[in-house]
Amino acid sequence: MHGMTENIMAVLMLINLALAASSRLTACVGLVAMQGIVIGLLPLFSREGITTRGIFLAAFVVVLKGLIFPRLLTNTIRDASVRREIEPFVGYGFSLIIGTALTVVSFWLGTRLPLPSSPAMSLVLPGAIGTILIGLFLIVSRRKAVTQVLGYLVMENGIAAFGLAVVSEIPLLIELGILLDAFVAIFVMAIMIYHISREFDHIDADQLSTLKG
Amino acid sequence: MNFIENTLWLLAVLPVLSGLLSLLMPSARLVLASTAAGVPVIAGMDLWVAVKIFMEGPMTSNGGWFRIDALSAYHLAIMMIVFILSSFYAVSYFRNEPAALRLTPGSARRFSALWHGALAAMTLVLISNNLGIMWVGVEATTLLTAFLICLHISTVSLEATWKYLIVCSVGVAFAFMGVLLLAASAGAPIAGAPLLQWTYLHGMARILDPRLVKLSFIFLLVGYGTKAGLAPMHSWLPDAHSQAPAPVSAIFSGFMLNMALYCIMRHLPIVTQAVGNTAWTNNLLIFFGLFSILIAAVFILSQHDLKRFLAYCSVEHIGIIMLGLGLGPLGVFAALFHTLNHSLSKTLVFFSAGRLGQIYGSHDMRSMKGTLRANPIWGGVLFAGILALIGVAPFAIFMSELIILKAAADTQKYFAIVLFLLGTGAVFVGALRHAIDMAWGEKPEDIVSTSNNSLIEWMIVIVPLALLLILGVWMPAFFRNILELSAGMVTGGQP
Repeated sequence: MHGMTENIMAVLMLINLALAASSRLTACVGLVAMQGIVIGLLPLFSREGITTRGIFLAAFVVVLKGLIFPRLLTNTIRDASVRREIEPFVGYGFSLIIGTALTVVSFWLGTRLPLPSSPAMSLVLPGAIGTILIGLFLIVSRRKAVTQVLGYLVMENGIAAFGLAVVSEIPLLIELGILLDAFVAIFVMAIMIYHISREFDHIDADQLSTLKG
Repeated sequence: MNFIENTLWLLAVLPVLSGLLSLLMPSARLVLASTAAGVPVIAGMDLWVAVKIFMEGPMTSNGGWFRIDALSAYHLAIMMIVFILSSFYAVSYFRNEPAALRLTPGSARRFSALWHGALAAMTLVLISNNLGIMWVGVEATTLLTAFLICLHISTVSLEATWKYLIVCSVGVAFAFMGVLLLAASAGAPIAGAPLLQWTYLHGMARILDPRLVKLSFIFLLVGYGTKAGLAPMHSWLPDAHSQAPAPVSAIFSGFMLNMALYCIMRHLPIVTQAVGNTAWTNNLLIFFGLFSILIAAVFILSQHDLKRFLAYCSVEHIGIIMLGLGLGPLGVFAALFHTLNHSLSKTLVFFSAGRLGQIYGSHDMRSMKGTLRANPIWGGVLFAGILALIGVAPFAIFMSELIILKAAADTQKYFAIVLFLLGTGAVFVGALRHAIDMAWGEKPEDIVSTSNNSLIEWMIVIVPLALLLILGVWMPAFFRNILELSAGMVTGGQP
């Protein structure tokens, strides 16, 4: 059972690297959706084995992150008619190097964190931390508002994995609350992008810079 | 008593019901009127509970999911005062909007729904005993208030909203890592233990792993600090405060920032007990406090936009509260006192800034001259409010800042006194210059003087001003008692 969690974490990290290197927005949405589904499967392989709580949570996360979010985001991309992240602040080749570096850092951090519940050699902690870091990196290094939303989602995924690694028994009510918040967040951001693209004829977040000082 | 004990959650549901009710109203005016009528009813219930808590001690309900103690009751009371004032003000503010920005029934309903939603989410933060639910509430306020900023859609308001959404969502996500780490510090999970409950963690604070608790507190400080507008995480704040309609700026500055600080205060006793001393947390709090004061001072001196100027004032005052929290029991007492004073005066000043902005058609302080002649009440309130904010003597902020200085002297933090005086001194000079110019400058000829203010406008102005003056010269015994009880909860009183 536990081996499966490790596999999932490895997949997570590979998706992170792919995200750092892809420029087509629809491909990015697909990758993030895949990541969401993979994260959603995690509760099924917890130490307690398969529980009704786990199944319920997994189904909920997979539907939300694997189906609803990608739909919302692809609609947004279509309405705002953007295809690619053109000229990000950090080029793709260099992004890949940074992504790799962040993964290394997350392995180091994973061994430094004195957590009671996780074994030292596990991939869970590095995977979670790496995903959070990549999410942050995407938010700061990309121009398009959509990519920033994707970065936020990746970070959210990382935190969800971190939660599973650190505290295995978060009450279901709180999990649902967090998912509801994530849902509303993506929804609100999608509406915002729609308004921005209508008002500005672009969705380059770096050009939102009238307000200063 | 028993009834209320089992139904604390009603406090968070009530605003939702009132919000739904206001959605049924046919016209924009009626929607706003029903908001102004509904909020005081909710406030009555909340204040009744708060008084009960002050008299009878903390109350826990629904299997430990909800809990109110003196600290949360005190914040609940401040929140309701700010919301009542702002709801009344919203009626007069939106009635005076220029024709192009008139609220349609649709946008009025959106305003009212989000307004009540924000109230519900903030109430949830205050009454939840579960740190996870508290976090969910904080994130919910970000999402619910986002569209309040761009109620009137324009390029700048969209820009402000986008920054607010991204910066606060990412920041608050850090706070959740902090919550998780705090839960992890309890060691190997015990089956069925209420892991994220404040009372549970507080009860076993002494046996938490101090290393993880420290790490968690840093995440919490950065996360909730972003929402509170502490420098250097304040980048969203001036934009959001300046672009939002004035009633929204008032609740942002008057309470939303305090709500985030409340979250930090909630975690403080757990952290200090787990770490074993208060020096570590105090140093962090003092550092962020002073840093915010100084950064705000620098930006205040170069501001020309009235609402941005006020926004940086918020950064400064949040810094002052933070500084107070780091200065021992007396400092915490003063910080909580300062919370009320700042909320009252900032609400007032944003009220007048909003209305004067409508009269002058701009928020540029260089063109807003002669406000006293343009509209005596709003001009006068703006002047009095700015004086109160910068700590002029008879107003209560002077008293709370004085107690903070005393607390700093008692704990021998002389460098803090120096930096604090430097920051507030710079703000004092910069703000006074603007305030005098705006009040007595040469009024532009095309601005028509008005003085037909409604009774409600007089009320929402006079009551907070009177409160500020009274608290500045005399602190009633019951109020001192409330502050001491609340401060006890922060400094690690009994659970």
